[in-house]
Amino acid sequence: MSELNLKALAAAVAGAVAVASFAAPSFAQGMGDSKGKEKCYGVSKAGENQCASANGSHSCQAQSKVDLDGNEWKYVEAGSCAKMGGKIQAFQGKGTPMKKNGG
Amino acid sequence: MWLETQRAFRATVTGVDDAIAPQAHSAHGTLAQRVAVYRNTVQQSLIDVLASAFPAVQRIVGVRFFSALARDFVRSHLPDVPQLSVYGVKFPDFIATHKRLSDLQYLADVARLEWARGESYFAADAAPLDLAGLAAIAPERLASVIFTLHPATRLVVSPHAIHRVWMVNQPDVVDVPAIDIGIAERVILTRPHYAVMVRLIAPADAAFVAALNRKLSLGAAAGEALSVDPAFNLQAVLQDHFIHGTFSTVQTE
Repeated sequence: MSELNLKALAAAVAGAVAVASFAAPSFAQGMGDSKGKEKCYGVSKAGENQCASANGSHSCQAQSKVDLDGNEWKYVEAGSCAKMGGKIQAFQGKGTPMKKNGG
Repeated sequence: MWLETQRAFRATVTGVDDAIAPQAHSAHGTLAQRVAVYRNTVQQSLIDVLASAFPAVQRIVGVRFFSALARDFVRSHLPDVPQLSVYGVKFPDFIATHKRLSDLQYLADVARLEWARGESYFAADAAPLDLAGLAAIAPERLASVIFTLHPATRLVVSPHAIHRVWMVNQPDVVDVPAIDIGIAERVILTRPHYAVMVRLIAPADAAFVAALNRKLSLGAAAGEALSVDPAFNLQAVLQDHFIHGTFSTVQTE
């Protein structure tokens, strides 16, 4: 490597790691449970689910065929799942979105 | 006979031709009129899928032109996978070769940017790069490490100012500045947590990411970036990539 010597490269990596670790400490913790988000079952429309249904009927996004399927989940703001008629655990049947204005 | 009927129905509802159009009348209108209901539903839902995947393109050409364009596309490109999130992958190429869009050379690349954004959004989950693990690699081995791009990372390179065009065609933009469309732009899309990030990056940075995507080592990729721009700052660039989740793993050879 002629353009960038080993020492300079190692220093650049170390510096970048130091700054990035400080700037984004949550990265080290992975993305399994995103801050402020929760998996919500029974609220996604057909084709709008996120990955892997709970009953194993498919493995990835947007493969759901039924609106509001209780086995399908999507990420929603924490605390808003029940409000939208879903549950944070998979269930049989369909979600029951509340009608607007209590009607 | 049954297969023929199915094919004819498919051709008719997708608008390819009027295979099912016998002049059978009933109390509810001709068969052709009744089939037209299905045709509208099928076509319109596919047009809606395209509109939601390419909102900036729709804003640029206008709702009416977009609908006509999408209808043309739907007729010649039926879904081949039963998954609406992957419908439209060929729309950018369709735009690139469309006669009436020859004045808008940049439009296909804006569409590619929007498609890349959708792909990034729907890409599989993966943990971002373990920075502590990277820090633990011996300094003399760092030049030969190989990064794997995160499944949600996409790079779009264009000879046009696609990032600026895309930015000013967002829903909340009111004032549209004059844009020099001839400025080449490179855009990287990443998905730290659950939001897709769209970032304009420098030519050398794009060369760096493209080289890493070809599984070149860190040292070799940095060399390519430096050949594009001698002022390439590896630390600053890596820092941004770490923060935005460009990579998922790093391997020592």
